[in-house]
Amino acid sequence: MSVLYLDNAATSWPKPPSVPRAMSGAVRHGGGNPGRSGHTKSIQAGRTVLGARELLAELFHVHDPSHIVFTKNATEALNIVLFGLLRPGDRVLTTSMEHNSVLRPLAALTGAGVVVDFVEAGTDGLVSPDEVAARLGAGTRLAVVTHASNVTGTVNDITAIGAICRARGVRLLVDAAQSAGCIPIDLELLPADYLAFSGHKGLLGPQGTGGLFVRQEADLAPLTRGGTGSLSDREDQPEFLPDRFESGTLNVPGIAGLAAGASYLLKRGVESVAAYDRRLRSAFLAALAGDPRVKVFGGAESIPHTGVVSIRIDGISPSTAGEALEKRFGILTRIGLHCAPRAHRTIGTFPDGTVRLGWGPFTRERDMVKAARAILALAGGK
Amino acid sequence: MSLFRRDAAPKEKLEGVVTFFGSHHALRAESVLKKAGHAVRLVPGPREISPNCGVALRFVQERKGEIADLLKQSSVQYEGIHHYPEK
Repeated sequence: MSVLYLDNAATSWPKPPSVPRAMSGAVRHGGGNPGRSGHTKSIQAGRTVLGARELLAELFHVHDPSHIVFTKNATEALNIVLFGLLRPGDRVLTTSMEHNSVLRPLAALTGAGVVVDFVEAGTDGLVSPDEVAARLGAGTRLAVVTHASNVTGTVNDITAIGAICRARGVRLLVDAAQSAGCIPIDLELLPADYLAFSGHKGLLGPQGTGGLFVRQEADLAPLTRGGTGSLSDREDQPEFLPDRFESGTLNVPGIAGLAAGASYLLKRGVESVAAYDRRLRSAFLAALAGDPRVKVFGGAESIPHTGVVSIRIDGISPSTAGEALEKRFGILTRIGLHCAPRAHRTIGTFPDGTVRLGWGPFTRERDMVKAARAILALAGGK
Repeated sequence: MSLFRRDAAPKEKLEGVVTFFGSHHALRAESVLKKAGHAVRLVPGPREISPNCGVALRFVQERKGEIADLLKQSSVQYEGIHHYPEK
């Protein structure tokens, strides 16, 4: 039985062939620690890292690539901002659609005297910009909002939310773990102060890669401090980007792979990937044909979505359904709460969760039809 | 000898050196200046003019003004620009 991988929202697979090639090249022929020496290998590794930064800057419309900081994942990037900016007494606004990568740092910060306000999203998973405007308080320092939900795939109007925050003098941290590489992001137009992204999802890089866009670093304390290869005569952390947030040796093979992923996306076009994802969603929903035994979450089809959908089948728990999809049809999905318990409360699927399907740029339309037919077979008790 | 090599322009002397605080900015300077058609070369940072990052960038001294402008436009942070002929 062939395997149909529909868990791209957790990590994308397959990758463009250029990704493992770039990684292998970095290990076999690269070597050298970027920024640590003046010898050829160190400079070559430095050029690999710079090349990746330049490609991501192009993808996100960032003028100066030094404002793209590499991390090991989106979670680390989110932690840098949350722990680097918020101090006891600060208020932070967030939404019920956030992932545990935001909720857990905020829970820890609540214990340290930070006040957290939540905006409840609609049952479709969308965060209303008006609700954000209504909930911003006088002391709100930061708003943390997901660009696209990892449960429903719904895409928030992050530009409108950003404009509200900007007008009220509140900084905005965007969690782009699910959107980077899947839908266009233009940081010249999007009024975000920080944007955390994953490297191994929509950007098609390997696991262990991610990053943070930092518009203004001045009052953001680094999460880790250490060797950067710069200002080595001093024991305090360099203040300039990207070194301020990049202590210790970088994941050069991973970053080489991420650069190959970003390069693939620049050639194919993120807008074209987004349109392709929408087409696959329509094909999946058309094949389900509105069967009443299958509940689809994420609101109307007219709402913008990424390549993610959550479903439930009447009378079958998500865990049973997920297991049957793999064992009987070779379809790999993700079941349960998707590290987003509040999001599942919002859409009414807590505590059992849903079956989530996540497709990508290499999924075929007939794969989506196959998945829909398998779901209908389970719903029919077959 | 040179009579037979009419295309061989004399190699430009890279007597100017830009020094940096961190290697990202040195490599970014190389990338930006090369794209703009400047002859540049990364070299181990001369200790006498910079205690900072490992690498510095050699350039044609006569283009100093143009190079400083380009680095500024591209938000490349540098420590200093020096006249430092190769020994």
